[in-house]
Amino acid sequence: MECRAVVSSMSDYIDKHEMWLSDIEVREIETHLIACSKCQSIKLELTEVRTAARELPLHTPSRALWARIAKEIEPEVPRSERPTRVERPALSWWARMKSRQFSFTLPQLAGAGALAAALIVFGLFRTSNQDQRDFNIIKAPTALQTALLPGEDTIKAEIERRLSVINGRKMNWDPQVRDDFERHLNKIEESLRYSRQTLQNNPDDRVQQQMVLTLYHEKRQLLEDVERLKW
Amino acid sequence: MSNASNGKAVVNGMLLKGSLSSLRQVSAMVLGLLFASASSSTAGAQPLSKSFTVSPESSGLEVINQIGSIKVTASGSNTGKIMINARQVDGDARVNATQTQEGKVKVEVTGRGTVDFDIYVPLSTRLDLFTYKGAITVANLTGPVRARITTDGNIQFTGLRSSRVEAHSSSGNVVFSGELLPDGEYRLKSFSGSVDVTCPSHADFKLSASSFTGVMDLGGFPMKFDRQTNQLVEAAVGAGRAKVFLWTQEGSIHLRRKP
Repeated sequence: MECRAVVSSMSDYIDKHEMWLSDIEVREIETHLIACSKCQSIKLELTEVRTAARELPLHTPSRALWARIAKEIEPEVPRSERPTRVERPALSWWARMKSRQFSFTLPQLAGAGALAAALIVFGLFRTSNQDQRDFNIIKAPTALQTALLPGEDTIKAEIERRLSVINGRKMNWDPQVRDDFERHLNKIEESLRYSRQTLQNNPDDRVQQQMVLTLYHEKRQLLEDVERLKW
Repeated sequence: MSNASNGKAVVNGMLLKGSLSSLRQVSAMVLGLLFASASSSTAGAQPLSKSFTVSPESSGLEVINQIGSIKVTASGSNTGKIMINARQVDGDARVNATQTQEGKVKVEVTGRGTVDFDIYVPLSTRLDLFTYKGAITVANLTGPVRARITTDGNIQFTGLRSSRVEAHSSSGNVVFSGELLPDGEYRLKSFSGSVDVTCPSHADFKLSASSFTGVMDLGGFPMKFDRQTNQLVEAAVGAGRAKVFLWTQEGSIHLRRKP
């Protein structure tokens, strides 16, 4: 599954994936998320947004209000321009909307609309600029995580600094060299995420602490190597 | 110049062997002559051979390759010389070989392409070897060695009697066969390959071996364990004089006794 397809299904995956996505699609997304740090970061960001949105107070609007809004919205979104996903159940977008119970005030709806627009713009910006996307996404998860080890923030800051320099240069690399680099970086990041998660569950585990530090060192060393080559 | 097979041209102390088949190549050769500096040598598509005179007791060699293998053989008969043979496999990479005032030889590949090195050094040479992708092999050395492969490639040490060995490959095996000297330090790491150490049964060392997902086979050395989990073993063999650090994230660790 490609990043674009995963990102387009991400909201449903985070929200109520068993209802909106097929089992195959869920599995594909989960497999992709294990290997793709960029999509993992988007997932983290959307989860944050969802958590924040949940804290808003709920109010029940009248059915007439919904009817008016639906009348306004539906003609503005041509069917051909609606986002498509892989192998969805045969329910229409509007039928799915109607099958749910909503309770929002008008200001909340306006806010949600603005938020959705911001997310769309943000998503488009990410997918249209590969370099910038790499840089932003790699930075994002570290901003959401708290330090588990003494000095972890310092190591991460140094890694981010090196990575931002390399991301600015790697478009000029030989494609095979770039693929090798990204493959190894992803492998390290995946192991780091897993080890970090394990450590989060048991912060006093000294073996895991050592493993996390070793993986940070591994990541930093990979970046130092590339800097050494002056590509 | 026609196909002057076996033709040789000496450029600023560097021996270029091969055939030149066009006027363009002749022009490039002339330009190369013009721009070659007194202390450095550059090779294009041709194989390069160059030797440097060094002090056998304090010789040092640093190789920074991009893509390609590095093979270093130390020899007692090779006193006072470091001999470098470079073969360009593809691309337009260039090899620069220089010697510092202190006598250290530095070889660096620039541009894009694959270059394989076959190097001969005095026994006690201090080695620092690096390649982004490709194998590293070192044989019979007694000097300290550091070898690093950024992505894919195996590292193999054979017949070493060095007091300090550091090796790291991201996606390749690291194989060490040699002595573990008292007070020596041996750090062998691979992210997704295995780490394999063979040393004499009388070896005396302190071990830290860590594998996140692989098997650890510690070869029947009598050990006094300080810590033993599925992922980490810390132990001493004998008085624990040498220090041995073995690490792999995804591969296996094998520690073997030399028969």
